[in-house]
Amino acid sequence: MKYLQMAALALLVAVAIALCFLGTGILGGFQSGFLELISPLTRSGHAVKSSIGNLGKDLMTLDQLELEYNRLLSENKQLRAENNGLRDLQQDNDHLRGILGYRERSSFRLIPAAVLGHDAEAWWSTIKINRGSKDGIAADMPVITDRGLVGKTTVVSGNMAEVVLVTDENCKVAAKVEGTKDQGICGGSRAPEGELQLAFLNKLADLQPGQKVYTAGVSGGVFPSGIALGTVKSFHARELDGEATLEPAADLGSLEEVFVVTGAK
Amino acid sequence: MKTALLFILLLILVPVAVSLQDMLPQLPPHQERILLLPLIFCFGVLALPLIPALFFALVVAVVQGLMFLQIQSGEVELGLVGPVVFFLSWAIVLQMASEATQGMRWELHALGSASVTLTLLGGEFLILCAKRGGFPVDSTVLLRIMIPSALALLIAPLLYLSLRSLVPLVPEAGLAKLKAAGYDL
Repeated sequence: MKYLQMAALALLVAVAIALCFLGTGILGGFQSGFLELISPLTRSGHAVKSSIGNLGKDLMTLDQLELEYNRLLSENKQLRAENNGLRDLQQDNDHLRGILGYRERSSFRLIPAAVLGHDAEAWWSTIKINRGSKDGIAADMPVITDRGLVGKTTVVSGNMAEVVLVTDENCKVAAKVEGTKDQGICGGSRAPEGELQLAFLNKLADLQPGQKVYTAGVSGGVFPSGIALGTVKSFHARELDGEATLEPAADLGSLEEVFVVTGAK
Repeated sequence: MKTALLFILLLILVPVAVSLQDMLPQLPPHQERILLLPLIFCFGVLALPLIPALFFALVVAVVQGLMFLQIQSGEVELGLVGPVVFFLSWAIVLQMASEATQGMRWELHALGSASVTLTLLGGEFLILCAKRGGFPVDSTVLLRIMIPSALALLIAPLLYLSLRSLVPLVPEAGLAKLKAAGYDL
């Protein structure tokens, strides 16, 4: 028995050492495989979460209906419930038409994707989407909404992909300020809080709150030119350059649908 | 046999915890997250005998490593070395603490979960500082480390009680230790 334990311990040490010396390619493959492995769980969890959210909405509608009933003292509760149901459908319809419209208006080839969840990470800002290599997604593809840039894909499995958000310290984007010749590098912070920092600006730049910032689209880069990044909140000159704080154009805290840019039309 | 069953159950719980913690909402004021994996890890290494506990720690290390693996421009920012060393070290420390305190106890699980969360988040931050440069410690960073650790301390007893339904699967030696220590099972 002692020999068996010794053998198990030796195996453990060997596996641990082997894991520590895995190359980037193998690690990337492992990560992609891991994403594929947890994909059914994540998708099921997303479906359950959506159902719970919808249940809450239904309960609210019932509450509202009850208030209506008390206020009007009317017997047409059934008709009002039906009307509310139709209103919900109208909103869904308008929302989907908006998405479809943006997809058709856009000058990029877009693949729509649903956000499955925000990753529970303290120092990285990432989300998972329900599209993967089977849908034509690859690593380093820009991800946007109709309001602006969201981030770029990093790890891609068959049915799922991870997207690093623009608020992450690792996601650097060349940016230009609307109406000026000022350009800088936009990125997030180590403990992302939802704001963007536009650094390496001319320290004499005259940026005003409310000015819009777009991607600059450097040659060979990931992000094409002209995607809205955010709006200037404040600007301060540092010793060597200027830095602006931006409010992201896309609402990164409540993302539900995004588009992956697979190329130009 | 019981150890094998417990080990398999814990292996199933690992991806469940990973998926669940991704779905839990962010907490105010700075979008702090609730981490469940350290809680499952602590329960596993306390409930299992040494060798299976070390293997379980290795599995958790690989899962944690793959979750946080960032490949930027073809280079790995944080590989598997850190998580493997971290979780194996904590598995040994918790096993020793378990020996010293006469077996599994909810207090040990709670303190272990909080300590693992605290050192995990703090360690990641320090490694990132070493890799990327700078040491931008502010209240946001401190809260990002402290709040999940405090939450781990609070949630751990609940999780412990839930997982106590697995107690018949806890190895006999562990139960004998608990009985010897006067615990009502």
